Amino acid sequence: MGLRATHAGKDKERQGGMIYGGGVDVGSTQTKAIILSEDRKIVGRALINTGANVSMAAERAFRQAVDSAGVAPEGVAYVVGTGYGRYKVNFGNAQITEISCHARGANLLFPKTRTVIDMGGQDAKGIRVGEQGDVKDFVMNDKCAAGTGRFLSNAAETVGLSLDKIGPISLEAKKPVRLSTVCAVFVESDIMSYLAEGKTVPDILGGVHSAIAARTVALVRRVGIEPEIAFTGGVSRNIGMVKALEEKLGLSVNVCDDSHFIGAIGAAIFALERALGGDASAGSGKTGQVPVQASSQPGAGAR
Amino acid sequence: MAQPATKTDYQGRIHNLQKDMIGRYYSRLTAAAEKNSGEKAIYMLISGSPVELIGAFDMIPVYPEVNALQLAVKKQSLPLILAAEEMGYSTDNCAYVKADIGMYFAGRKTPFATIPEPDLILCNYVGCNVYLQWFEHLKEYSKAPMYNLDVPFFRTDGDSEEDLRYVVKQLEELIEVLERMSGKKLDYKKLKRIVELSSETGALWSEIKKLAQRRPTPFDAYFDSVMMMAPLYCLRGTEDGLWFFQEAYKEMKQRADNHEGPLPEEKFRVVMEGPPPWPYLRQFRDMFSRWGAVAVASTYSGVGGIWEFGFRHDPQRPIESIARLMLQWNVTNRNFMQRYRQLKDYVEDWNADALVIHSVKSCRLFSAGQGDMREYFTKQLNVPTLLIESDLEDPRYFSEAQLRNRVDAFFEALEHQRMLAKK
Amino acid sequence: MGTTLVQHTQQLDSLFASCRESAQDPEFAVAKQWLKENPGKKAIGCFPVYCPVELIHASGMLPLGIIGAGNQIEITFADSRFQSFVCSIVKSTLELGLTNRLKFLEGMIFHSICDPARNLSSVFQRNFPDMLIEYIHFPQNFASPLGREYLASEYRRILNGLEQRSGHSATTEDLNRSIDLYNRIRAALREIYRIRAEMPHAISATESFVLTRAGTLTAPEDFLKMLEQVLREIPARPTKPKDRIRVVLEGSFCELPPIGLIETLEEAGCYILDDDFLRGWRWFTEDVPLRENPLAALAESYSERAYYSGTKHDSRETKAAHLINLAKEKKADAVVFQAAKFCEPALFDYAIYRKALEDAKIPHLLLEFEEKTWSFDRARSEAETFVESLLFD
Repeated sequence: MGLRATHAGKDKERQGGMIYGGGVDVGSTQTKAIILSEDRKIVGRALINTGANVSMAAERAFRQAVDSAGVAPEGVAYVVGTGYGRYKVNFGNAQITEISCHARGANLLFPKTRTVIDMGGQDAKGIRVGEQGDVKDFVMNDKCAAGTGRFLSNAAETVGLSLDKIGPISLEAKKPVRLSTVCAVFVESDIMSYLAEGKTVPDILGGVHSAIAARTVALVRRVGIEPEIAFTGGVSRNIGMVKALEEKLGLSVNVCDDSHFIGAIGAAIFALERALGGDASAGSGKTGQVPVQASSQPGAGAR
Repeated sequence: MAQPATKTDYQGRIHNLQKDMIGRYYSRLTAAAEKNSGEKAIYMLISGSPVELIGAFDMIPVYPEVNALQLAVKKQSLPLILAAEEMGYSTDNCAYVKADIGMYFAGRKTPFATIPEPDLILCNYVGCNVYLQWFEHLKEYSKAPMYNLDVPFFRTDGDSEEDLRYVVKQLEELIEVLERMSGKKLDYKKLKRIVELSSETGALWSEIKKLAQRRPTPFDAYFDSVMMMAPLYCLRGTEDGLWFFQEAYKEMKQRADNHEGPLPEEKFRVVMEGPPPWPYLRQFRDMFSRWGAVAVASTYSGVGGIWEFGFRHDPQRPIESIARLMLQWNVTNRNFMQRYRQLKDYVEDWNADALVIHSVKSCRLFSAGQGDMREYFTKQLNVPTLLIESDLEDPRYFSEAQLRNRVDAFFEALEHQRMLAKK
Repeated sequence: MGTTLVQHTQQLDSLFASCRESAQDPEFAVAKQWLKENPGKKAIGCFPVYCPVELIHASGMLPLGIIGAGNQIEITFADSRFQSFVCSIVKSTLELGLTNRLKFLEGMIFHSICDPARNLSSVFQRNFPDMLIEYIHFPQNFASPLGREYLASEYRRILNGLEQRSGHSATTEDLNRSIDLYNRIRAALREIYRIRAEMPHAISATESFVLTRAGTLTAPEDFLKMLEQVLREIPARPTKPKDRIRVVLEGSFCELPPIGLIETLEEAGCYILDDDFLRGWRWFTEDVPLRENPLAALAESYSERAYYSGTKHDSRETKAAHLINLAKEKKADAVVFQAAKFCEPALFDYAIYRKALEDAKIPHLLLEFEEKTWSFDRARSEAETFVESLLFD
């Protein structure tokens, strides 16, 4: 059978008395999984490359996460899949968009969050969040790579540096250049022209970060920018981008090490709520996947 | 939670009746194209058209827009668009135009008709600047005579005597042109009768739209409405056209009285702004129906005329009322402030939960500036608003996964808000 | 003699340099200075293409060309209102408004040119309710005198609105005085363009462009003086013809090309004998007659004394005829069609022009640009390739 028999409802199998919720965020480049305990602590996590087989990636990430938590897969009462590949989380009970999950996740990590700026490998989002982590409004730019990790990795490659170095180096810029494009494809020729002109790498990288920050801020303005601001997604680990954003916003942003797990964390929160409260209907039955009702068997233990 | 896609077409008697009638209309076009009938073909645009005048001279109205959308629905538009792009049209030009030009140079043959060459290109410029370009190009290619019926943009609130006078005088000029073409004088009594039919048709259309105020709405005021539009443009002012709307009203009224809606359960009522993605009508519809979301009002169904706020053609003042329809009572000739007001009326009077703006790349008249519309509705009026993008004719701009993501996120949030409100 | 020549050259060069500066100034320093020196006077912004500036002037206000922000400001707020497939000038103009740079204006006038510009006027109306926002519907029906009559009444409506803001009712004399002033400006500009066509080495397209643009940002009385100075000094300018191809340029509706792009074209080896930059401010082929009914004279001139423009939609002539005739008349080697990205009118026109130019065997180059560009390498390569293909023929 599948990774775990799914079930929902008020009667939960308790693993050592604990209820766990699982969130699996299947992105186009990376898949993240988080296991949350009942008291909303992260007890397990995993981060792997998605690769070509999306459903396998989801399974693998989930397995790694439960292993790191020291919990059996069946011990996770409810799993929510999110991200572009959410319908491929075959063992999941529900699929919820990453927008909703990001809002909830940011709300857990930074309870005063009112705006989320998410910059991932291939897309960028702005989300306005209410007090309870509910989505008030959102905007996405997923038509092109402008303002995403892809732009930065192209830029890094062009200047011959690894992605993790370009952030700190961009902070050394004295006179950041002005890029004439935010197209991830054309940025390469732009950078090459500047290199040929004799501009320094820090100045070029300063310009790159500044251009992306400007574009992202313009995007998020559509939903309105209200403090506190959480900066999430893979790109949030880039200190140069953090500074560039703060400069464009005129406000500080919250980042943390778990920034790019936020989608999975939010998904796990949803999972936990449903496992505990049972107010959501049993699964969503999307793409033909039908939740299996637990047969009434007495006692705890493996099925 | 979203349900799996349910059967959402309203496949009632009306649907088949419409297919039948439009089929006959297209046969008439084919007959004219192949010179059997000798009927004169007048090319026009649907936004506020003087189709009643055309009927009074027994000429056939040909609508390149309707032809273009039919091509998209039948998934034939892309090769034609590509052919136009090879000719020098840009990827950024309106795809309606490209499909039509492509079709023109492909012998004007479509799966549903052979479109006749124009005997007159009547450019009823109502708001959309692309109309002007489109018809200018057709004129250069076909070398047919063109009359530019200039309808001033509805830019001041309220009536403008100058604007009305200008349009009425041009209609009179147009009548002279048509008289010369047909060799006979305008039969004024016939025109009055036709305008009377238009008036009754408009009244019925208005009543049908008002039925959507009920809970549940008996039909989807976007997906089903746009299906009902073709008889409104191609057959308005004819006995057939009137009869269609009489039948449609009867059927919708019955459904409304039986509390029947297009979905098993009506969960969300939305107002839809913007043209539909014709090549992907079904998929687009399913994205909303899986959430139990139905449209109760739409702006695109009013491009050719807005009757639900009281306007009627007046058989006692036929020319003047035709002019008024073109000036004020259609969507494309209105400025944003008026369009915002119209949408606000829809949201309030039709009891909608949200506004969905479908922004299309081809049509800047509708789309350029919808960000401001969104801002107004979310920030000023507190109406939950979703803005999504694709195209009305070009199948290359429809990204199903991305659209679905946004629609899902939107209704998830709405559902969540409802839940919080209940607590 | 030598010293005077140098002096003349320096004067002219410094005039062009200051024009260049004000042409790129998103804070409108020159106009604001004039308003400061003329307390009580107000200014009205004119969006492209053609605006009947005489109406504004006769009502006692200063007409200014608000034509985007070029590559001088970042667009942060306007992006949320207009989508990515809309031309930049719509967004940059809105950005000027949303960043409070247009507060010094009493109002803005928009015109029927295309759908995005039309929608822009509505967005201005909603977002700047204190400003006078007007939209002129230009007639598209030229077949009969109806269009002209209508336009005269439309001008009356606009003038009424302007008068309310300025507090001054324009008399017939006021109107004719303004028409006369702008006639002289336009005549001077026509003369400059005539010189460019006959002696393109005497004044470059870049210089003519920044001069004209600076003129739209300053009081007409001052602009006329600048133009007279230029016309006086040009004959004494020591320049030698270069080995370049001769082109006429079209495609400019609203969005202004970056100055660097025009320079790049010229440096790549083109003499631009004629162009349609700021066409709206050089709309008439001859003087507008001074008559008892100035509004009718202006309306009639819009219809009968205007250069061709795609946004005029004058269906009495075929679209490409004027361009072919122009190229032949100026003895141009080629046509450059320079269109702003996403510019609807330009892209539609091009489809017809392309075939017509091919049929007439006139080589042409299509260059798409965006106002907010700072690097012109790509354009340079394209232009040089084109020039080479013609020179080495």
